[in-house]
Parts: sequence; structure tokens; C-alpha cells
Amino acid sequence: MAETKRYDAIVIGGGHNGLVNAAYLAKAGLSVLLLEQRPMVGGATVSEEIYPGFKFTVFSYVVSLLRPEIIRELELPRHGLAILPLESTITPLPGGDYIYRGTDPHETFRNIQRFSPRDAEAYREYGHAMYQMAKAVKYILSIRPPDPTSLHPRELMALLKLGKHFLNLDEQHMYTLAKLMTMSSADFLEEWFEFDPLVATLSASGIIGTFLGPRSPGSAYVLLHHYMGEIDGVFRAWGFAKGGTGGVAEAIASSAQELGVEIRTNAKVAKVATRNGRATGVVLENGDEFEAKQVVSSLDPKLTFLKLLDPKELPSDLVGSISKFETQGSSGKVNLALDALPDLACLPGEGVHLKGAISISPSVAYIERAYDQAKYGQFSEKPYIDIIIPSMIDPQMAPPGKHVMSCFVQYAPYHLRESDWEDQREAFGDAVVNTLSEYIPNLKNIILNRQVLSPWDIEQKIGLSGGNIFQGELSLSQLFFLRPSPGYAQYRTPIRGYYQCGSGTHPGGGITGAPGRLAAFEVLKDARK
Amino acid sequence: MTDFDFIVIGGGHNGLTAAAWLAKAGRRVLVLEKRATLGGVAATEELVPGFHFNIGAPDARLLSPAVLDGLDLKKHGLEFIESEIAAFAPQADGRGLTLWNGAEKNASEISRFSKDDQAWKEYSRQTSRFAGVLAKMACLRPPTIKNNPLGLMLAWGRLALQVRALGGRDMMQFMRVLPMSGYQYLNEHFETEALKGLLSVPGVTGSTQGPRASGTGFMLFYQQMGAARQVSGGVGQVSAALAKAAQARGAQVRTSIGVKRILSERGRGIGVELDSGEQISAKAVLSNADPRTTFMDLLGAPQLEPRIVRRLRGLKLRGSTATVHLALSGLPDFPAAGGDQARLTGDIVICPSLDYAEKAFDDAKHGRISAYPILIARIPSLLDPRLAPTGQHTMSIIFRYAPYKLAESNWDAERERLGDLAVETMAKYAPNLKSLILNRRVITPLDYEREYGLAEGSEMHGQMGLDQLLLQRPVPGFVGYRSPVDGLYLCGAGAHPGGGVTGLPGLNAAKQALKEIR
Repeated sequence: MAETKRYDAIVIGGGHNGLVNAAYLAKAGLSVLLLEQRPMVGGATVSEEIYPGFKFTVFSYVVSLLRPEIIRELELPRHGLAILPLESTITPLPGGDYIYRGTDPHETFRNIQRFSPRDAEAYREYGHAMYQMAKAVKYILSIRPPDPTSLHPRELMALLKLGKHFLNLDEQHMYTLAKLMTMSSADFLEEWFEFDPLVATLSASGIIGTFLGPRSPGSAYVLLHHYMGEIDGVFRAWGFAKGGTGGVAEAIASSAQELGVEIRTNAKVAKVATRNGRATGVVLENGDEFEAKQVVSSLDPKLTFLKLLDPKELPSDLVGSISKFETQGSSGKVNLALDALPDLACLPGEGVHLKGAISISPSVAYIERAYDQAKYGQFSEKPYIDIIIPSMIDPQMAPPGKHVMSCFVQYAPYHLRESDWEDQREAFGDAVVNTLSEYIPNLKNIILNRQVLSPWDIEQKIGLSGGNIFQGELSLSQLFFLRPSPGYAQYRTPIRGYYQCGSGTHPGGGITGAPGRLAAFEVLKDARK
Repeated sequence: MTDFDFIVIGGGHNGLTAAAWLAKAGRRVLVLEKRATLGGVAATEELVPGFHFNIGAPDARLLSPAVLDGLDLKKHGLEFIESEIAAFAPQADGRGLTLWNGAEKNASEISRFSKDDQAWKEYSRQTSRFAGVLAKMACLRPPTIKNNPLGLMLAWGRLALQVRALGGRDMMQFMRVLPMSGYQYLNEHFETEALKGLLSVPGVTGSTQGPRASGTGFMLFYQQMGAARQVSGGVGQVSAALAKAAQARGAQVRTSIGVKRILSERGRGIGVELDSGEQISAKAVLSNADPRTTFMDLLGAPQLEPRIVRRLRGLKLRGSTATVHLALSGLPDFPAAGGDQARLTGDIVICPSLDYAEKAFDDAKHGRISAYPILIARIPSLLDPRLAPTGQHTMSIIFRYAPYKLAESNWDAERERLGDLAVETMAKYAPNLKSLILNRRVITPLDYEREYGLAEGSEMHGQMGLDQLLLQRPVPGFVGYRSPVDGLYLCGAGAHPGGGVTGLPGLNAAKQALKEIR
């Protein structure tokens, strides 16, 4: 017997944006049901014990972008959120040397100075400049994108306000901003630095999660995007959530539940029910039905529009543009359970450098070659890898003396040209381990268990179309009032009472929570009408 | 009293346009050209006795009506030969894809390959609308980031209204596709690789970027601003007509005179010093040289603020075009044209797919000459027999990518190898080509720099990438034809709207200079 129950609002998907959205709706007094297909909430923001005793940060692995107002307003620290700082980034170099960038600016300065005194100076200025830039752009993260085609006074005012914000910037900053919006990350960084491996390792932030190389125009924006994080008010510091990124989701879920959100897991939504162009509720795959005045989807745009709805209910323009929305994933994940601590060839033994990130990005050409393979439908045999060892930061992630290692790998294109991921998954895992072994000689001997996730696997496991970790490429044509589609960037859809709140909407991907929060305000605006 | 009101350095088509416009306003103008021939790389030269070649630019399809009519160029001898054919792309399987100029035939031609004929109609509608907006944009001086004069703000405001008038749907599309890559834009429309490969070529013109680079969509529209037409007597006739127009109004045009440096005093450009040591004074100087040559070599870095010098150093020139000129004893036979000579009167393009283009770029990115290059060939003597002896032909093959900076070799060593590669590649589609070659001249990016003064061989005076357009062209901080030195203007392709034989940088710069120099 199928059950039917009525709510003010239903949120589809329990990723961090869905959770944030639900919490804000409940906070405003709505009765809210959140439905998650998996046994646990979190979406890509989860920690799972894949191998007994070892907790993997299965998908996303670092936190920085989570909006401070959300941490504050949802009282997340009280609900268990604790962010542990990542100490440093070490970039091993082919000759056995390394670049070390840590929390102590003097130490970083001395380290870079060994390669280029000019770059060591520039590094300070660069950090400052990016801080200024991120501050200038931060405003955009907190507003609903205006609709430039509308002549409604509200939209014109919003445009004017936006224009004013930018005109108030210093001229130099405006030029730097224009560059960041249009350049490639390597070109941008080469205006600052001369030491190629430094350019390479910094440019990596410009390619993470995108189908771009460090020399592709547009990647400088992604660089900036990754600079917009704050931890406890400290700009651009990256951290690791206690308990893994799952700790973030659990804290938001706990806050949401306290505010009255009902969370149901193992509840996969099949369809959004509509009547006369209005959403009336949802139907689960098991046939259960729930009614609500408002339905919010935190799934990616393709699922939100084309799967949960019958495309016939939508304007053909929108169906066209959502079909064209670029969601091809480019990155994979390799999680390792280790019997002992990995030993870096360039800096053997235990040390503070293992409490930060290890970046395999020895030269710009290296990353470009990795990208070249991906362009033609192969995974990179020598990929860019961003590694952290969560158990060094939070010992509870692994049994005493043992470790977990989280490796973010690029490039792994969703579409393989001459094979498929079920066939290539382990070969990809081998390529990663082989590449890592060049820098970590003891690695192969200490692997107890290995989890390899291709974009295809990410799609299978958590539903992200194309396995794209940002729910859609962060390219200029898919940002701000164009995200996910021109005319539908204000979290609404053509179906009244049906909203979107995932990373596929402004301001995009990363654990920001911003889409979830901004969407909640739009839902509440309509609810009050 | 100065010797002249204006001195124009460089007699390329933009320098001559500026000179003619200034002379038309009654000003005393002197043009100084280093070479013996006017036109810069938009010149036609007899490289082989009896054979006249278009050195760089193959045609003047983008020449702005504002220049053509505003300077009465037809009266001064400029004639066009209209070509029905826009492009012909022979394929490895023996078929050929032909595109006509604005013709209905294209849809049915495309239907021979796939069902893309329907998409073609929407594509050509959209691209021509967007190109129309760009054409208007090209005639406006770009705004600076701050403190724009009211008149300029109004002009751009009017343009914004025109963009809005495209209608909500097209307006949003316009904003969406402008920063897009040609790769994505074409994939959104078409399935046929042959078609996508062919259409991607204009998008990568003038930059060392592959079709996947965002912003190459912009170039695709930019190149659509005009229709293919050949200049009678060769593209150099554009410059000849411009020179006549300038001289008819009293401007002096001197060739074979090199400028050693731009003279400035207290932050003001006041004249030039020639290679001979002679100094000539003027109220203002317009430079048709590229921005790097103009500011770093002719003016000199010490005259500039370090901040500006840093920006100039960041200017991405990155030329990657070489041209292979062939004197032919007869017409090459392209079996894919099925014996229809007319199909060879437009661009003959070798770029069978988007991946082919991207792979060609991959080589350049790593400092190598493309092993499988994109070729864009013209046989101008087909429509204009005077360019070659009777029954014989000139063929100019533009070769992409030929990066200026080679990682493991140098251009003097690679010049003829590139020539061989171009011929071998083209001969796959025209088997009798090799047997027809009487003579061959290869112009590499290094030659374009040495002989024609293009820094790094960049025919656009700076890559036409997203980060070097509009209010970032040539570099942030001195857009709008002005420079850090008062009375020194940039009037070449390094200024907005950029490269191609448009005449617009010259025209816009002259207008700006007239406003400011009394």
C-alpha cells in the first residue's frame, strides 16, 4: 500500500546543497521532507568505511569554500563541524627536489627562493592579489544572478547594483579581474612567476574538476573560484573536516533535523508530480508518493529537468540548452588503505609535509600532456594527482599506525573512446599507483585496499551526470546568469513550485552550500505570496 | 611649427587608412614605410618572375564599408572579383564538401553528408545575426574600464540596446556563445566531422589556440563579418587604392624609409627619427607597427612606467602561421572537385575534423610544427589570370600551426621541411600538384618578423584570444588607440577590433586622433 503524506516542501537529494536548502526552509517554519536515494546523506560529501577500519573520503576530500554565513546561521560547529587546517602543499620534482609551501610564509619564501628569488618575492604579492580578487568577487557568491533580458525594475536594480559593485573596485583590480575571467591559468601565472614547476603546481587549481588544461583560456577563472574559500574567516586556506567531508554533511543534517527537517534515506525519487504546470509532489521508485506545495531538486540540471520531469512539459529551448549543458566529468578518485605511512622520495620520513597536500604537477607541459590524452578519450597515463593523507590530520580515519590516502586524479574523461570504464577502471588505478610510486617508492608494498572511481562510477554511485563534480563545467558560458540555462538561473523552473538548488546553479560547485541557501530564499519568497 | 600634423609609421593597410582619413580632414600627413612595397602583409609581390602572390592576407573580405565608401576606394582603382565559392574541403574518402557564399545550395550540399542541413539553417541565421553585432562593435572605440566620456558610453549603450533587440532568446545565446570554444559551438549544431572541421578554421585564425579554446567561437563570428571576395590584381591593390586616396588629399607616402625611433618629450610623442638619423616633427604620431615594436623598440621601455612595461611583456603575440607560395605550370587537379574548376576559386581547406585541428594545435603547444597541419589554400589566378603567365597559376597555402618559438629546432633549419610537408599534405588531395611546381617560396613566422616587421610573426599584432580583445586589446590600460604617451596612437591590428584587412583600427584611430589633436 503506497503511503501519501503532505509537506510544505520536499527537497530531492541529500547532498550538502540539498541539506542546506532543507535546513533554511525549515528554519523559516516550513515542514520539510528531504529524500536521499542512498543509505546515508551527503551525496559527494561523504565519508564511508569501504574497507574495515578505514574511513575513506570517497569523493570530495577538502573543505574551504563552505560559506561562513551558513556555518554561522546553521550553527554548524555546535553540530559537530570542525575543520582541521591542511598544513602545506608539497610538489615533488623529477630530479628529487621539491617545492614546499606551508603555513609559515618565511619558510615558503626560503623554499621558493632556492629556485628563483624573484618568484619568492612574487609569491607574496600574488597571494595578496588573489586575496583582493577573491574579496572583490565574493559578493557575487552571495547574490541571486540578475536576469539581463528582463526589464523588470527589480532586475534592472540588481544589474545596477552589480555594476556599481564592480565600478567601486580599484582600476588595477578590475584589470586583474578581466584577466582572470578570460585567461588560462598558466598564462596568468606566468605573468607572476618564472619557475615552471611553481607555475604548474599553482595552475592545477585552475583545472580541478574541469575539462580544461592549464593553458586553456577560462582556467584562470577556476583558479579564482578555488581561492574564494574561507575557514573561520581566513581566506584561501584549505582544510579537512573532522571525520572527513562526511563530517560536513552530518553537521548540516544534524542542524536540519534539529530545525525539524524529516530526512528519509533509501528513498529514490522517480518523478516530480505535476498538475497544470505546477509541482504537486514526488513519486518514489518504490511507488510511494509525497505531496508538497514546493519541490526543490538538488540534483544536477540534467536530472532535475530531463529525468525528474517529462521534457514535454518544458519549453523546447530549455530542453535544448539543458541537453547541451556540459557535464562531462574529467576527474577520478583513487582511495587507498595503507599498512604504513607513505614515504616521499624527496623528503623521506614522517613530517608536517604529510599533513598537507601532495601535488603531482611537476611541469605545465606534464599537465598539458595529461590533458592531451583526455581530449581524445583516454585517461592520462601520467595524470595530475592531488593527494592528502586524512589519517595524518584526523587519526580516527584509520586504525592506529595505518593510513588512508585520498588521491584526486585528473584526467579521466567520462567518455572513453575505445573502451569503457568497467573495462578500464583497474588499468586507470594502476596508472595512478605507478605514477605515485615514482615519488613514493614504498607505496606498492603498503597498499591493503584500493578503491578506484572513474567519472562513470561517480555517476553510478551518486547520480552526478557525467560524473562531473561541479554538476556542470565552470566555463564562462555556464556561469552566473547562464547557469544552468539562460532565463532559468534564478533557481526557478518553468514548472511553478519546482526549484533547483544544486551546484548546477549559481555560484557553482565545491562545498559552498551557496546554491542551496540562495535557492531557499527564492522558495521562501514564493511561499509567502 | 611642426613639419607635419601627423606622421604614420608603417604603410600597411591600416596605416594608409588612417593617413587617408587624416588627409581627408585637411591635415598634413606623412606616411613612412620601411619596405619598398606598401601593404605590409596585405601586399602582393612578384616573388617569382611573372607570378604575383598575396604575401599574407589572401583577400579583403573584412574590409569595412566605412573605409571602402568613406575613402572612395573604388574611385581610386579598387575592384573586387566576387567569388561564388566560400570554401571547398576535399576529404580523405574522395568526397568534397563545398560551401557557397550565402547560398541556399549549402543545405543540400550538406545533406549529401548528413542530416545537418536543418541545423545549418539555424547556424547560418544565428552566426550572421551575431556577426552583425560584432561588425557594429568593431566600428566603436572600446571603452576603458573607468572614466569613459559620455559620448562613448552612449554609443556602447546604443549597441547594448541593439543586442537586447536581438530578443531575449538570441540575446542570451549571444552572451552564452561569445566566450565559447568553436569546438563546443560547432558540436552543439552539427554531427558531420567534415563540416565541423571546415567551419572551425576561421575560429583559430590569428592565435595559437586550438578549437577547444574558449573564445575561438568569437573569432568564428568575427570572420563572418564579410563575404569572400577576391581583390582584382591581388590584395596589395587595397593598399594601392588607399595610398592613392591619401595622396589625392595631399598626404605624402614615402617607401624604403625606416623609422629608428619615436621621439617624445615630457610624455608626449613629437616626431620620429629615421634610420638615416634625420628627425621629422609632428603634432602626433600614429604607429601601424605592432604594440611590442611600437612601445618597446620604437619608443623604448625607459619611456614607460614599469607597470605598463610589465603588461606589454605579457602581450601574447604567438604567431603560428607560415605561408607556402607555389608557382604552378598548370591547375592542380582535385579529384574531389569532380572536374568543376569553379570549386577551387574560394578557400581550399584541409581540416577534416575538429580532432584533426586540435591535434595540429597540440604540436604547436609543445613547440613543434604540426605534423598534420591545417591548410588553407587559394589559387587567385583562377579568377584573376593576370596574376600568373597564361595557363599557369599561383597557389598560396597558409599553414597552421607553425609556432614562432620552436622547442627543438630553428626556422632556418625547418623552412624547407615545412614547405615539403605542406606540399605532401596537399598532394594527398591533388595528386598532380608536385609535378606542376615551377618554384616555391616559404615564408615562416620568423620571415614575417624579419621581412615584414611582425613581432613573433603575429599577423594579428597580438593573438586574438579572449584575453586580448575589446577592453583588453592590446593590453589592459591603454585601449582605444591611445597609448601611455600623449600624441602617440596605435592604428594597427594590435588595436581594437584587431586583425584582418578591415581598415577599422586605422579608421578608428584617425577619428580619435582628429578629436584630440587640433
